Amino acid sequence: MNRLFIAIIIFTFAASSVARAEPVDAGVPIDAPSADATGAPARPVYVLPSFAVVTRRDPPIYPDVPVARRRPVDVSVRVDVDAAGQPSNAHVRSPANPPFDDVAEGAVLGWAFAPATTNGVATASSLDVTVHFEPTAAATAAAEVITIHDELAPTTATKPPSTGAADYRIDVGQMATAVPRKEGAAGLLQLAPGFLLTNEGGEGHAEQIFLRGFDAREGQDIELRVGGDVVNQVGNLHGNGYADLHFILPELVESVRVVEGPYDPRQGNFAVAGSADYELGLAKRGLFASYETGSFGTSRALLLWGPPGDGPHTFGGVEVYQTSGFGQNRDARRATALGQVEAKVGKHGLWRLTSGAYISDYHSAGVIREDDYDAGRKGFYDTYDFGQGGSVARVFVLGAIDHHHDDITYHHQLSLTGQTMRLREDFTGFLLDQQTSFQQPHPQRGDLIDLESDALTAQASGFMRQTHTWLDRAQHLELGYFARLDRTSGVQYRDEAANDHPYHKDTDLDATLGDVGLDASADLRFTDWLALRGGGRTDLLSYNAIDNCAVQDVSHPSPNNPPGDASCLSQENFGNYREPVQRATTAGTAVLPRGAVLFGPLKNVIGSLAYGEGVRSIDPSYITQDVKTPFASIRSYDAGLDYQASLHDVATSLKLSAFRTHVDKDLIFSETVGRAVLANGTTRTGASLAGRATSRWFDQSASLTVVQSTFDDTGLLIPYVPDVVARTDTVVFGELPYYNVDGTPVTGLAGLGVTYVGRRALPYGERSDAVFTLDGSVQATWRRYTVGLKASNLLDNRYRLGEYNYASDFHNQGEPTLTVARQFTAGAPRTVVLQLQVQL
Amino acid sequence: MKVNALGLVLAATACTSSTGGQIVSFDVSAAGPADAAGTRAFDNGLGWHVELSAATLHIGAIYMNATVPTSGAQFTNCILPGLYTAEELAGLDVDVLSATPQTFPTRGEGTDDEVKAGELWLTSGDINAAADPTLIAAVAGVATDGSASRPFTGRVTIGANRLIASSDPAHPSAHPICKQRIVSPIAIALAPRDGGQLLIRVDPAAWFANVDFTALTAVTTSPPAFEIPDDNATDAGQNLLSGLRSTGSDNYQFSFE
Repeated sequence: MNRLFIAIIIFTFAASSVARAEPVDAGVPIDAPSADATGAPARPVYVLPSFAVVTRRDPPIYPDVPVARRRPVDVSVRVDVDAAGQPSNAHVRSPANPPFDDVAEGAVLGWAFAPATTNGVATASSLDVTVHFEPTAAATAAAEVITIHDELAPTTATKPPSTGAADYRIDVGQMATAVPRKEGAAGLLQLAPGFLLTNEGGEGHAEQIFLRGFDAREGQDIELRVGGDVVNQVGNLHGNGYADLHFILPELVESVRVVEGPYDPRQGNFAVAGSADYELGLAKRGLFASYETGSFGTSRALLLWGPPGDGPHTFGGVEVYQTSGFGQNRDARRATALGQVEAKVGKHGLWRLTSGAYISDYHSAGVIREDDYDAGRKGFYDTYDFGQGGSVARVFVLGAIDHHHDDITYHHQLSLTGQTMRLREDFTGFLLDQQTSFQQPHPQRGDLIDLESDALTAQASGFMRQTHTWLDRAQHLELGYFARLDRTSGVQYRDEAANDHPYHKDTDLDATLGDVGLDASADLRFTDWLALRGGGRTDLLSYNAIDNCAVQDVSHPSPNNPPGDASCLSQENFGNYREPVQRATTAGTAVLPRGAVLFGPLKNVIGSLAYGEGVRSIDPSYITQDVKTPFASIRSYDAGLDYQASLHDVATSLKLSAFRTHVDKDLIFSETVGRAVLANGTTRTGASLAGRATSRWFDQSASLTVVQSTFDDTGLLIPYVPDVVARTDTVVFGELPYYNVDGTPVTGLAGLGVTYVGRRALPYGERSDAVFTLDGSVQATWRRYTVGLKASNLLDNRYRLGEYNYASDFHNQGEPTLTVARQFTAGAPRTVVLQLQVQL
Repeated sequence: MKVNALGLVLAATACTSSTGGQIVSFDVSAAGPADAAGTRAFDNGLGWHVELSAATLHIGAIYMNATVPTSGAQFTNCILPGLYTAEELAGLDVDVLSATPQTFPTRGEGTDDEVKAGELWLTSGDINAAADPTLIAAVAGVATDGSASRPFTGRVTIGANRLIASSDPAHPSAHPICKQRIVSPIAIALAPRDGGQLLIRVDPAAWFANVDFTALTAVTTSPPAFEIPDDNATDAGQNLLSGLRSTGSDNYQFSFE
């Protein structure tokens, strides 16, 4: 029924598109009589109609792109021209090329046209024009003067300046969709070096992120933002900092800024391994409809729109998705709505309003023991516990305003987010159900965690940047603030396997959490080739938590009022009554210096040295009254080289970065406890190499990261984190030779993503298997219609996405299995999806 | 092939190290005392001289833990807190009057962590099941005390016949049946290694430390034969199980070669 409904929608849009797009017929006799001014029927005539034509074509201004990327560019634009010759409704038809598309549309609307005629009468029509961008010598020279190297240039907009080689600004472009990314928008992080994404929790579960030797879990150690708004959920019971990016439609991601380390004073809590900030945008204007269907009952309907005449930051998008999933218990459904409006305020201001809603319901398979798989007791894609899964809902609104006045730029933004998450996971089977003496006798009833975590979050942030002249150069000073208040609620039960009834409450915690941070930074230019960027940040984090299940054990319980099987007890020693709750409040501060030196005495090469400190705030379930909040402290160093050049019309960039990060008290995930637990100090040392090359017909991105992560006291490796991650993404595109239908060329696009993850260290000296996958797609576009095929895991490798060594007992043998054993989560088999798109 | 080559090249660029420790598997066997030769003679704590002619023990599973449980802790759970580091999950009926090691049908598995506590699970199924007909131990012999002679047999099962009712309404699970089936903690100090052999020597003498043969009733009079009851209702029956569950090193010895 859903498919039928979606098909009807798409057909309707397609039909209306065809009707609207019908060009003025050439050479077709007009045989229907029309009326003249007197009302008398006009005499049928046969007159060849004329097309609308451009009568004045002002050359467009070449956009402000890095010198290394300057090359001739053509953009195809369809524009409506009314009977008076007035152009309107210009929208780009060629593949998205964000820096040029807006300029091209604006340029076309400034051109002069002669209208089309029919029977000698001017009529409205549409026509396609090509806007040619030529990087003139003057423009290039001007750009050279401004930047020498683009990275050294101080920012003039609201975007912060680069902090060096660990700072990656990724224009997503066609990489967003040309290479299949089953992780959705989170998968775009892999365009920066060193990222590994896994997911043991199902399609509605946030991706687990590994970066530079960190197991950043689902956001615990990486700050994730959208439009500057922090996504990490403070106090989430599954993991403090849990960040689910599934509410972002990947087609609406314009760029991502990834900073691999705490080097920018603007980075806040959770920026331990680094941070990523998604910028939303839709380059194409008009209506866009897509329907995908493929393996495992997967279907996805997507509608996007960008009002003609507005910029790429005004858009809307709706997605409906469902799948039966591969193997057992991996079905999922989700729906997403995401919209944004951006408009000017006066001559120098800009406001932006973003809103979105996302709901998801899914099941997950969890882990399989290797010995069960080897013995044939379980299939590779099976599950032990069909109760696993969850549901998610998130709604948010974000407003922002920018203003530029003389030498001052200021920015403020405010958001409100409500989210709820239910998660059911079972890592251990029948292992953790402790029998206490005051409970009725019971066997192991099952370890399924049934967790609910809700949050209401208000955030505000902003800055003022001021420019002064010193040493005959513009110097920039910036003051910023960040504030958030979270009201969170988390409850975790254990459910009985036999009947799904909760038999024990592990946690019941309500908390109000505050964070106010101030940052100050300077962007100083001493010479044309030397810049110092840095400053500091301080945060005050406050905790007010009430544990509604504070008493779970009691010595010498009352025989007259035995506690029985209740989880949250109302008595303490010797049966004395007490309420089962306990409140605790505390606060902690952190002062975090961060900075970078960038130097570029050599042409096309920028060197950088960066240092930064970060903190990891504590999970509110761990706080104790008036005890200083035990932050973990992070110190990170980075040295790098950044090369950018244009070679034979190929824009090339290459970044080499060496890094070292120390954490004084680390968190290592424990499957038994179901959360990360405190460990000793750790150090990560490594290097990454990342490159990107773009031309008129291809876009190539590749990276390699090698890192060693060790405990300070033993020198032993930290388990689970990958020490080698390599990734390439390739997209080729252009008109297909020999394919020309009805006078319109067919354009093709093909993408290929290759991932290699080295054998990860596992506990007890073990190593996981290496992971090697290929993901690819092909597309053909004729006029406004596109058909494509996307496939992930092209080689259909049966691979283990995650491997773990820990104790579990899934009743697979006659006696309980209590010692360490290998378990794995299965990577997806080959998945093929047919894609149909129409641009309306 | 290319993928493997890529992996080798990339792995070579990373410093190779380890997370420490090792997963191990090893042979497991059990036997009677080293000097056992089909019979066992000893004096028990109540002055009886016992000559065993038959003694078997069913071991359902063996576990080893890296920590020793805190004495007096409130836990009555059969699965202890702490880290289980090795296990043998296949059962075996052991002739504990034979000094020859009798090998368990499957290999033990675990890690090379140092072990401080051992557990013998005397069951062949659900450790929490109220009923279990499995014959855990069978003994036969003659007990003498001066002129008194008691030819005896005995058998031990651990089911409803061994349930201990709680007298404290606040602690209905003070004595869960699973606890009756586990010999724990047995103090040991060893570190399993891959390819090694775990040997458990069981001396049935300790089982009879507090068994008073005086109270046994005759099941036949000609020839006279006595039976140790298979329950906790009699002192002899209860003390036999208590002796069997005794964790002293004179009862169970773990060694690793």
